[in-house]
Amino acid sequence: MIRTRGERPATKRQGAPATWWLQHKQDAADSLRRLLAAPLSSLMTVFVIAIAMLLPSLVLLINSNLGNLLEEFRSSARLTLYLEEATTEAEATATSEYLLTLDSIDSVDFISQTQALEDFSAAAGLRDVLTSFSDNPLPASLVVTPAEVSADDVQALAAELEARPEVALVQVDQQWIQRLEALAGLLRVVARTLGIIVVLGVAFIVGNTIRLSVENRRDEIRVIKLVGGSDGFIARPFLYTGLYYGICGGVLALLMLLLIGLALAAPLRALTGPGASALTGLSPAGALLPVLAGAAVGWAAALIASRRCIGTIDP
Amino acid sequence: MIEFDRVSKRYGGGQDALANINFTLGKGEMAFLTGHSGAGKSTLLKLILAMEPLSGGRLTVAGLDMSRLPRRRIPPHRRRIGTVFQDHQLLFDRSVAANVALPLRVSGFPPQDIQRRVRAALDKVGLLGKEKLSPAQLSGGEQQRVGIARAVVGRPGIILADEPTGNLDPALSSEIMAVFRQFREIGVCLLIATHDTRLIQGGGCRVLTLDRGRLVSDQPAAT
Repeated sequence: MIRTRGERPATKRQGAPATWWLQHKQDAADSLRRLLAAPLSSLMTVFVIAIAMLLPSLVLLINSNLGNLLEEFRSSARLTLYLEEATTEAEATATSEYLLTLDSIDSVDFISQTQALEDFSAAAGLRDVLTSFSDNPLPASLVVTPAEVSADDVQALAAELEARPEVALVQVDQQWIQRLEALAGLLRVVARTLGIIVVLGVAFIVGNTIRLSVENRRDEIRVIKLVGGSDGFIARPFLYTGLYYGICGGVLALLMLLLIGLALAAPLRALTGPGASALTGLSPAGALLPVLAGAAVGWAAALIASRRCIGTIDP
Repeated sequence: MIEFDRVSKRYGGGQDALANINFTLGKGEMAFLTGHSGAGKSTLLKLILAMEPLSGGRLTVAGLDMSRLPRRRIPPHRRRIGTVFQDHQLLFDRSVAANVALPLRVSGFPPQDIQRRVRAALDKVGLLGKEKLSPAQLSGGEQQRVGIARAVVGRPGIILADEPTGNLDPALSSEIMAVFRQFREIGVCLLIATHDTRLIQGGGCRVLTLDRGRLVSDQPAAT
């Protein structure tokens, strides 16, 4: 390269940040123009990516709502304290008053032996059988409603109460909540597995699209290589193309998710009843996830595919 | 600038495309490379551009040993060389200006510089005013001139030209040669592969003649 006054060699120029930024802007705009020039095929690719990304996003949405529901159920968990046979009603009342002084307890209901028998016989329809017993076999109990606490706190409270001498047994009405928690855990695993499959799928779709794109521009790439264009320089517009595919696919997946959420809201409300919380969408961070994941996977797939294909083209 | 030392090139099991080539081309020197079709002119240019690996010998271009040039160093090496191709190698989906600007873009020149240099290069080859046209709208001769403008726009230290005046009329050929001479005067090393005997006779330059891959003649420049 012949140098004239005040000029630096061309190879040194690539570090100039302003020029680097301008070139990126130009490549980004050029990639966008090429995508818009073939709207149908671009839209089809974006749509396929969106469908692929919708699946794990949907599982995430269901999981997020299940989590909300679980929180509500957890706060409504109750403990039944079955008292020792020898406990008098006065002792039970004293215990009840003591429990109400604890911050972790919201309310306490005392159910005497007589009340328990009446309730049971009314519910089971076994009045005749139960009256045949000489003694009332049912124990007195205290029904404790904890304040808004987590499942772990409820378990800790149960253990604490079980240690009291007047308490024979503590029953925590949480088994079905634990099953629901297990289901939520399973859904998280499903979402993660689907996420991995989708990442591979999206990478394959974008990679293949970029590979075809590179093949279509083989002659142009040869010329750019002849005048000294590096593989990185040539790959740049393809990276933007991959990025656009990923972002657009993620945004479309998010829109479809919103529509599905809206469509499911009414039937779910009917199912859970008016008191239950309505279907909620993903949190802002959760909503950004498909878009960011799409962008990252699109860019990475384009990087791998374009570098591999461009490297095989010799001028 | 260019030094061939017992250079040979053999393509996959066939005959030697080039055998025992020895010559040196210095800074500010201009030479014609001539010979029949298949004599090895294009292969020789490809070796300089690192488009093909050497089979033997040593080739040094602008201080770089071509046999030891790593792949990542090939693009910067090509940026130091301006090349005029026989088949122009233009991009028909881009404007004339964008084609000429290509070597500057890959070298990372700022846009203002690119615009100024592209206009100057197009002015040199008589195409100023046609920047926005597509190469498809130009004649063969004009396309060749776009290729020449692209080769000189980055003010390279070496210019290689493969039949640069093949599609040009004699008047335009003389103008292009005048452009090349201007570059020689500022120290650029030029190697021009051509069949055009009129160009060679009127050039007053060193003439390298290839025949079946061998350098059979090295005539110094007429004084």
